[in-house]
Amino acid sequence: MDFAETDEHVMLRGAVRAIAASYGHRYYADQTRRGEKAEALWAAIAEPGFLGVHLPEAYGGGGGGVTELAIVCEEVAAQGCPLLLILVSAAICAEVVARFGTPDQRQRWLPGLAAGEKMVFAITEPDAGSNTHRLATNARLDGDVYRLHGTKTFISGVDEAAAVLVVARTGLDDAGRAQLSLLVVDTDAPGLEKTPIPIEIASPEKQYLLHFDDVEVPADRLIGDEGEGLRQVFFGLNPERIMGACISAGIGRYALAKASAYATDRVVWDVPIGAHQGVAHPLAMCKVELELARLMIAKAAWLHDHDGDPSAAGEAANMAKYAAGEAGLHCLDTAIQTHGGNGLASEYGLADLWGLARLLRIAPVSREMILNFVAQQSLGLPRSY
Amino acid sequence: MNIAVCVKQIPDPAVPGELDPESHTLHRVGKLILDESDSFGVEMALQLADKAGGGDVTLISMAPNNEVSGLRTALAMGAAKAVLVSDPALAGSDALSTAKVLAQAITRAGDVDLVLTATESTDGYTGTVPNQIAQLLGWPSLTFAKHVEVEDGKLTIRRQTEAGYDVVESSLPAVVSVTAGVVEPRYPSFKGIMAAKNKPVDQCTVADLGLSSDDVGWSGARQEITNVAAAPAREAGEKVEDDGSAHERIVAFLEALKVI
Ligand SMILES: Cc1cc2nc3c(=O)[nH]c(=O)nc-3n(C[C@H](O)[C@H](O)[C@H](O)COP(=O)(O)OP(=O)(O)OC[C@H]3O[C@@H](n4cnc5c(N)ncnc54)[C@H](O)[C@@H]3O)c2cc1C
Ligand SMILES: Cc1cc2nc3c(=O)[nH]c(=O)nc-3n(C[C@H](O)[C@H](O)[C@H](O)COP(=O)(O)OP(=O)(O)OC[C@H]3O[C@@H](n4cnc5c(N)ncnc54)[C@H](O)[C@@H]3O)c2cc1C
Repeated sequence: MDFAETDEHVMLRGAVRAIAASYGHRYYADQTRRGEKAEALWAAIAEPGFLGVHLPEAYGGGGGGVTELAIVCEEVAAQGCPLLLILVSAAICAEVVARFGTPDQRQRWLPGLAAGEKMVFAITEPDAGSNTHRLATNARLDGDVYRLHGTKTFISGVDEAAAVLVVARTGLDDAGRAQLSLLVVDTDAPGLEKTPIPIEIASPEKQYLLHFDDVEVPADRLIGDEGEGLRQVFFGLNPERIMGACISAGIGRYALAKASAYATDRVVWDVPIGAHQGVAHPLAMCKVELELARLMIAKAAWLHDHDGDPSAAGEAANMAKYAAGEAGLHCLDTAIQTHGGNGLASEYGLADLWGLARLLRIAPVSREMILNFVAQQSLGLPRSY
Repeated sequence: MNIAVCVKQIPDPAVPGELDPESHTLHRVGKLILDESDSFGVEMALQLADKAGGGDVTLISMAPNNEVSGLRTALAMGAAKAVLVSDPALAGSDALSTAKVLAQAITRAGDVDLVLTATESTDGYTGTVPNQIAQLLGWPSLTFAKHVEVEDGKLTIRRQTEAGYDVVESSLPAVVSVTAGVVEPRYPSFKGIMAAKNKPVDQCTVADLGLSSDDVGWSGARQEITNVAAAPAREAGEKVEDDGSAHERIVAFLEALKVI
């Protein structure tokens, strides 16, 4: 067993850190406040190939795996620039196309994705929620096109992407549950209406309500096998969960670094506040939780990349997502507390990250659904739903 | 055009340095990293080789314990190969011994048209090694370059001065020390990072370079550190009360510092 990062990983981390630090949280917060995107940072990370590290070399990728993408994702967030679309575009969409796409489909989308173009992902529906078996958006084959009808909600980054990977129902199984399929839909397709949803998260991405009203999707936009969408999405969900965990862990690192610096500097009695155990111990506890979560992230990424037992990778990815989601939020909250009133001052760049850190307990999969998974899959407990 | 770049691998400057209480020399424990000052030389070399339409960029380094971490960073940026001199006999080397070793290592790399260095290292900063290398090789030495060009076998640099710059020309081969402003170093790409581990590093000893261990290390050092004292505490700053002429005094102060 080897817990040391390889030289390549150390170098990758260092390069991503240097790029992200040259922008920093101030840039991220200013762009967000102005209603603009973090385009320049995204491009700077994409340019040396860091958003395609996990994709096959034959399609312009780096030939690495989710382990490398996790380093990129965490390190950007750790500089105060959590990029949600790494999770959506690079993790789910690119992984699913790379794994289940035909050679033509891979050739069509992967080189762009490896270079930093975005594809976003739409599974959530207003009336289905965490229950994917109830997804109602449906696609019906009509000659050489699918006709798509339905509604998706909370879809991130639709305004930044040329295409959206849509999970739609193409039939019912014997038990009456939805059979799902994956379709790549152009975001400017006729019949697709996009309405922004106001959200209290200070990050540059916007979320949309999508209405598909008889949207024609060429049949060659079906990824993988019809009716196999759920199984295929599950493959992409592991990287997604791992990246969600990485964003949380990155926010946690960012917050603890700020808190440690502040607590070493700030004196209100006659010692720095970090010398008071009431300040130091909560930070130390956060550090322990954070490092445990990071260990599970590394394990989950390793299991996913080593293509062994997919249920082992799923279990680890869920646990990493849960642990990092909790730890990231705990770190941020404790860092805010450590800063006293300054914890809420814009200048200190902490409180504005709260919405995103809080989101990661709900999305991409809620903590309750993870606990359900662990209860049933890991402990063999019965289920209520 | 083949270019050799001297790159020093140094302890992380973010970690407070420590002196060995006996020898008064810098403690070099743990991983060393590429001196950031040298990343400018590496970038300049890559750009010059590119412009010349080919040629190898070879890294030259002297470092303890066969350290390659800093070299890997520069190889990931795009250098083709490296010569690394590491030998317990080098402990205690002064700047001249370092220059002797580096000059021999450059000769070992063979067929070099141009040598680039930084103007001074971040940890030792004597700023003497580049000139010494040039002298030992018998090549022209051009210093403080903030712009470097090679055309038709002729080298032209802009040498940074207080007032602006001098244009200095030379034939090749030559040794040029470059400033931090010369070019913007690239970040290594992911492909570069993955390729770095398979690039050749020629590891050699003092004997491999045809040097005697009497020329280097403690025995070769012409300088001896007899004592080390803490730097005097910084004096209190000057307070300027504004009586209407404060701006003039501030300007005079900044001028004396030569920052404006
Ligand atoms: C900012 C933001 C960005 C998003 N981006 C995207 C995106 O790009 N693409 C996309 O498809 N979706 C996106 N989402 C949607 C997100 O994935 C969902 O909100 C999330 O999966 C939860 O689903 P829901 O909101 O329908 O909650 P619900 O399923 O309605 O759940 C509500 C609550 O009930 C709990 N609950 C539900 N079922 C159970 C059960 N069986 N046992 C115990 N507790 C249960 C849940 O844990 C939750 O706490 C985004 C959401 C937000 C807020
Ligand atoms: C008492 C003493 C003990 C020492 N002990 C050791 C030891 O144990 N091990 C050891 O390795 N060195 C040792 N040194 C060498 C020392 O650390 C410096 O490498 C040497 O003196 C060069 O000085 P500088 O860093 O000031 O170079 P500068 O003249 O400031 O450097 C200018 C440029 O020259 C190039 N350069 C300088 N040094 C190197 C290098 N080593 N490799 C590649 N390029 C370089 C770089 O481009 C650098 O930016 C010792 C020196 C002294 C005085």
